[in-house]
Amino acid sequence: MEIFAGLAAVLTDPILIFYVLLAAVVGMVVGAIPGLTASAAIAMLLPITFYMEPLAALAFLYVIGKSGRYGGSIAAILFNTPGTAASAATQLDGYPLSRRGLSSKAMKVATISSVIGDFTGEVLLIVGVGLIAAIALKLGPPELFAVYFAAFVVIGSVIGKSILKGLASAALGVLIQMIGLDPISSEERFTFGNFDLTNGISLVPLMIGIFVLGEVFAQLEVRGKKTEIVDEPGTADSRARNRLTWAEYKPCLPHVVRSSFIGAFIGMLPGLGSAIAAFVAYGEGKRRAKNPEEWGKGALEGVAAPEAANNAVSGPSMAPLLTLGIPGSTIGAILVGVFLIHGIQIGPTLFLTSKELVYSLFAAGLLGIVFYGLIGYYGASFVGRFILKIPTDVLYPVIFLTAFVAAYSSRGNLFDVYVMVAAGFGGWVMRKLDFNPAAFVISFVLAGGAEEAFRQSLLLSDDGALIFITRPVALGFILLGIGAVFFRARSLNR
Amino acid sequence: MDRRNFLRVSAAASALTLAPLNAAFADWKPRRPINVILPYKAGGGTDSFGRAITAVSDKVLSVPLVIVNKPGSSGITGATEAAGARPDGNTIMLTSAGSFLLTSMLRETKVNPFDSFRIVAQIGNLSSSLMVPADSPYQSIDDLVADAKANPGKLRWGHTGRGGVHHVSGQGFLNANGLKAQDVPFKGGSAIRAAVIGAQVDFGFTGVQQAAGFENELRVLGLNAGSRDKVMSDVPTFTEQGHAFVDISSPIVLFAPKTMDDEIAVGMEAAIKEIAALPEFAEIMAKRGNSPAFLSGAEAEARLKAMQEQAAPIIDQLKSES
Repeated sequence: MEIFAGLAAVLTDPILIFYVLLAAVVGMVVGAIPGLTASAAIAMLLPITFYMEPLAALAFLYVIGKSGRYGGSIAAILFNTPGTAASAATQLDGYPLSRRGLSSKAMKVATISSVIGDFTGEVLLIVGVGLIAAIALKLGPPELFAVYFAAFVVIGSVIGKSILKGLASAALGVLIQMIGLDPISSEERFTFGNFDLTNGISLVPLMIGIFVLGEVFAQLEVRGKKTEIVDEPGTADSRARNRLTWAEYKPCLPHVVRSSFIGAFIGMLPGLGSAIAAFVAYGEGKRRAKNPEEWGKGALEGVAAPEAANNAVSGPSMAPLLTLGIPGSTIGAILVGVFLIHGIQIGPTLFLTSKELVYSLFAAGLLGIVFYGLIGYYGASFVGRFILKIPTDVLYPVIFLTAFVAAYSSRGNLFDVYVMVAAGFGGWVMRKLDFNPAAFVISFVLAGGAEEAFRQSLLLSDDGALIFITRPVALGFILLGIGAVFFRARSLNR
Repeated sequence: MDRRNFLRVSAAASALTLAPLNAAFADWKPRRPINVILPYKAGGGTDSFGRAITAVSDKVLSVPLVIVNKPGSSGITGATEAAGARPDGNTIMLTSAGSFLLTSMLRETKVNPFDSFRIVAQIGNLSSSLMVPADSPYQSIDDLVADAKANPGKLRWGHTGRGGVHHVSGQGFLNANGLKAQDVPFKGGSAIRAAVIGAQVDFGFTGVQQAAGFENELRVLGLNAGSRDKVMSDVPTFTEQGHAFVDISSPIVLFAPKTMDDEIAVGMEAAIKEIAALPEFAEIMAKRGNSPAFLSGAEAEARLKAMQEQAAPIIDQLKSES
């Protein structure tokens, strides 16, 4: 087993261990900062890694991706502002838990679930890298569209009270996604002659605006009214309340296992990524839960499901990347560049030419999971207690400033800052009028890839939309999606 | 390397060791780091040229070259910024000139390679190539052409985006051979490679360097260029196989704001020529599956002009179809 050789190589290299530890910390911190996503951090740190050893550089960025996906949950739980798009689903239940004074408990659940999900994904990658790559290769545009179609069903799970307003929010998300160049014909759409709009609206500033600025505005409104912290954090009572027992975590486990596999599967598919995995796992978890009415109001399972899924993406997304050069996530796309810069040719020959490097990288990933798991489990509750002691008049201005920095730094483009501010007001108005920001963002995320895959499929097909029926895998996912809609409609009627 | 060394190298290069220094070169004395705007994401194909040149530029220049990635809108975001920069030689742009040219022809852009920029030099070149899946029935371009002729409009071919270098180059190949086939755009080189390997399409046009390491998964039928690629040297060209081609490729070119002084431009061109000739540069490029291909500013401009002429009818055809 090459992985043991890899582990031995990693564990006997103190400099590499240091980089992995550093990456675990850096990832968690940038992940936790609202709006500063792991992929933005990796993009910023990328030039530094050009001067590092190839293995150290790859391990450093790979582990930042892992711990960043986890770190996003900290901000989602504490401030209702997801640190990354991947943790936008976590806030649905994480924040209500926080308001009941259970932030540390929520974070412990997030940590354990992330670690289990990440570990599952990594093990699947190590044992099944060849198989995963073979499957990924068979999935063309029709299959991808079918998966997107099935994923669209999850929007239903976050729609909330008003179905009509939820659907309207989702439709708005699709509309905003259409801005920019048409993915097939490269024609301009909805740009109104504005040059900056030709590039479309980027997810990062949009998400920071909707969730982070929107939340700051909401907090601004309730200023004067004392924020209801249940009681002084740090008291013996609060500590006792936040202790996580096995009896509490046990119901989460089935959700964690299912979500890990959902995340791992979505990770294999190019272009979907952690945010979609988290929402699909949340939707599927809510559908199967024994207590669906508690989801969205502070169910521990509602934190566990998306957190396991978004981290499970990390490992399997490496399989198509390493063997076929197809990145399964934004972070993966950046890693391709790292291989390129260090002169390592990714592709089927990688396992012949650089086997040692690849397995050492997987081993470094496992080590990184252990690091961020330990730091997270013991540190997150401390961070939570510390942050809750900071007065909101200090905290929210700081978050407000970070949002601006984060929006600008993701591409170094001032237009993104305008987008963020506009999205901030939009998100605030949506919340005021009971529209649904989560449905808006998830449909925005899904619509781009879904449209591209749909139209590519039609170009590939000899008989139009029949291509989705004649390809068995595509048909399977389409039926799955229709089945889930049917099931949900029936349970709503009851 | 300090400036004295830099001058000595330049003097040696111009083979005038005892004569006064090459006047033009000496007149360009950059004092501050030079920002090289790269209008694509870090880690892409064009970026790898940028990283290679910055890694070795200190052997010739006394100030560092700093890559500033400004991605967006198929490279036009960065190009617009570079065109508006102060023409003092401290801000230049390195880009895939082929896709810049074609984008400016296809869309209404505020900037274009000739009116908004002064072309400093070409440092590399990426050629388009025709690939099929490993288990494809096409063993040669002749097989493919024959089948496409027998089934007009039935074959599906992929490229990296409408109006991009590989789309126009592929369409040029189809036109030159009187073929009709349905194109399917994919996003970027790795996506089209996966589509070819997975036989989602019958054939694909993309950069020849995408095939490196995938010899068992796909077959490159031909290179769309006048001469063979230096790295992928066993791929025969279209002409070698007796097929007409349209010379659309992607030269990697340094651009400076249009109004930059002649003296700075000439000095910069000379410095870039030296950097491109460094063995270290070739070594780094070889590691990444590329090779240096220097052309002076005037030669690079002539080449782009020729490409513009070749592409014009194809672009018109694409515009009328959409």
